[in-house]
Amino acid sequence: MTAAVAAAPSASLIEALRARCAGQELVEERTADGMPTLWVPAGALRGLMRWLKAEASPRFEMLYDLYAVDERQRSRRAPGLPAADFSVVYQLLSVRGNADLRLKVALRGEYPHCPSLCEVWANASWYEREAWDLFGVVFDDHPHLVRIMMPRTWEGHPLRKDHPARATEFERFQLDEARAQREQEALRIDPEEWGMSPQGEDHDYMILNLGPNHPSVHGVFRVMLQLDGEEIVEAVPDIGYHHRGAEKMGERQSWHSYIPYTDRVDYLGGVMNNLPYVMALERLAGIEVPPRAQTIRVMLCEFFRITSHLLFYGTFVQDVGAMSPIFYMFVDRQKAYDVIEAICGFRMHPAWFRIGGVAHDLPRGWQQLVRDFVDWMPRRLDDYEKMALKNRMLQKRAIGVGAYDTATALEWGVTGPGLRATGCDFDLRKARPYSGYQHFDFEVPTATGGDVYDRCVVRVEEMRQSLRIIRQCLEHMPEGDYKARHPLTTPPIKDHTMRDIDTLIHHFLSVSWGPVMPAGESSAMVEATKGLNSYTLSSDGGTMSYRTRIRTPSFPHLQMIPAISRGLMVPDLIAIIASIDFVMADVDR
Amino acid sequence: MEYTLQRWPRGGQAPEETGPQAGGAPDSPESLHKQGILTARLNDLVQWGRKHSIWPFNFGLSCCYVEMATAFTSPHDVARFGAEVIRATPRQADVIVISGTPFLKMAPVIQRLYEQMLAPKWVISMGSCANSGGMYDIYSVVQGVDKFLPVDVYISGCPPRPEAFLEALMLLQQQVGAEQRPLSWTVGPQGIQRGPKLSRRDSKRAHRLAATTLRPPDEV
Repeated sequence: MTAAVAAAPSASLIEALRARCAGQELVEERTADGMPTLWVPAGALRGLMRWLKAEASPRFEMLYDLYAVDERQRSRRAPGLPAADFSVVYQLLSVRGNADLRLKVALRGEYPHCPSLCEVWANASWYEREAWDLFGVVFDDHPHLVRIMMPRTWEGHPLRKDHPARATEFERFQLDEARAQREQEALRIDPEEWGMSPQGEDHDYMILNLGPNHPSVHGVFRVMLQLDGEEIVEAVPDIGYHHRGAEKMGERQSWHSYIPYTDRVDYLGGVMNNLPYVMALERLAGIEVPPRAQTIRVMLCEFFRITSHLLFYGTFVQDVGAMSPIFYMFVDRQKAYDVIEAICGFRMHPAWFRIGGVAHDLPRGWQQLVRDFVDWMPRRLDDYEKMALKNRMLQKRAIGVGAYDTATALEWGVTGPGLRATGCDFDLRKARPYSGYQHFDFEVPTATGGDVYDRCVVRVEEMRQSLRIIRQCLEHMPEGDYKARHPLTTPPIKDHTMRDIDTLIHHFLSVSWGPVMPAGESSAMVEATKGLNSYTLSSDGGTMSYRTRIRTPSFPHLQMIPAISRGLMVPDLIAIIASIDFVMADVDR
Repeated sequence: MEYTLQRWPRGGQAPEETGPQAGGAPDSPESLHKQGILTARLNDLVQWGRKHSIWPFNFGLSCCYVEMATAFTSPHDVARFGAEVIRATPRQADVIVISGTPFLKMAPVIQRLYEQMLAPKWVISMGSCANSGGMYDIYSVVQGVDKFLPVDVYISGCPPRPEAFLEALMLLQQQVGAEQRPLSWTVGPQGIQRGPKLSRRDSKRAHRLAATTLRPPDEV
């Protein structure tokens, strides 16, 4: 595996952590991804986190991910780990030190308690609400621990192992009048609950419900607004309307048959979603991916980065009032899809990456298709610059609106173009090259304003860099295998199947049951279209995952909306929402 | 005013006129036609208008919406079917396309939006999730939007191509054209008379079976 992992924090960091919770034991766990993983006592958690954020070396500025695991049915838990019914996992990211750290807390009981980190990191709130909603872990001192994904009327915590997974295990869905009434009632806004007040000192405020169906919220997303005239006093985003249970789905699909579900997480990212998933599995199984497969993956990922950014570009300028660019941009998207379809056989969700490589070799004549596209696109981007970016009306709507600095971005867990627009050049493709990105010559575009306009400028420049990368793939595509020759790749190698019974049996089992992955935990992170996307997979040594955690960039991005929209006008909020570039499947999974 | 009464056969040719009156009375259909006036039964005219101006509601749930929006843009040009007038409010729309997964939490919202549409209204279910739950037999997804809405056209695919959406629109047009919705009290059966539901699997079967050579995947 050529992928470089994060620089391991020095042993001194772990020593310092040990010293800080003197008397209580820190247990180190070995994981396949090589990320330092420590089990810490719940009582010491808040103190440790504060120290890691403010004083440790390197400082961990970002709470990258927070999730729970139902440990009650583990069959192959590593010996020596603290006994647990549930565990809560915290993944921290140090942008300056380019390092990761994973801390785990073991919890006991049916409804276990865990200290809340809301006062340490602003973005802990939604993550903790999610863990409460899906697992029933109670976070003490959380300011407002209510459901976030499931409807308020829901009973139970769906990601628990004893909760049914399939809709067909429940009674057939019926929406009679009584139920519709009940559900509508549960969706009603109670302004007081969210700290909004309809009455001011000398005048009333307006409470406005934007969404969950609104043309400019990009999907099923809702923002509750407290308005003073047209000025936003308070905004409360409400999500969960797009929860497809992708994580629970991972617990019943084979390792191989889960790949199509990843496509549908960031549904504009296509095969880009496959990459962190298969990379995590390749780390777990120790599969070395051949250079040709890596380069094909890079090329396709960059194609999807362009189609996704084009859609962002078009909808963004449309949301601030320019109708025509989106029509031109969809012509380009169509051209990109023609290439993608010729190579992968499908447009939006090709599910084309495989454990160990890709599904198929590149078709004969692919070079011309790709060349036509990379020759076509730059002139179009120049046109759009004149049409959109230099448009003074667009500039007036976007420059200086919704601005935040790097520190705020890190506090809220913002990654991707939203982080780079603040001047921070953290791009995982450069910081920790994976899948052979170290061999490519490209730049990381940044901007300094951190506003709506700069987020757009960064993405436009990223498209140019993606074209550069694709051109390099075209000119230097390595020869060789498109899939690794490893027994755990899917579909399995068939070379000797018809010659001896042993390989026939293995092939048959591997195709019907799917590959059996070694027990352990592994994760992989990529610079996806919208920011950092990672999959953390726990295997109990079976044909399915024990726990699949999908960390998506859009989830923390939406949580930040109130912080950057207070005091602005409603039309500014629309520009901010467009500039974030999210899809709801990437938020709710 | 002079006029002659004629029996106009249903769906047939106008009776051939003979004698000195040939060429039509001053306001016979022929002479009106010559003056640039078209006559039709009001019901048929309304039906024809409805068929060619099905305005979609700007509503999307997930991935399928992206392909539906692609069908709205210039490479696919939905204006050919009179369906380019995308309405942001359900009250002005004729068709709601359920493009994406019908989530449990979203179902009451979808139903409320459908109720806000004014009749006549139609529903297209776009993609596997909306058809049956598709890949997502999971706790948070309703297994098909037809569990709570009457669906007129189903589009298969995950997601269907924009062309498939256009085909569905044409099928809906056929259906709308064949529908009988009395404009007033009529003699005979009351209410909406719908045409038969067509199965594309059956109608395309012969064509599909006729294909014997398929493009190999290693060519572009």
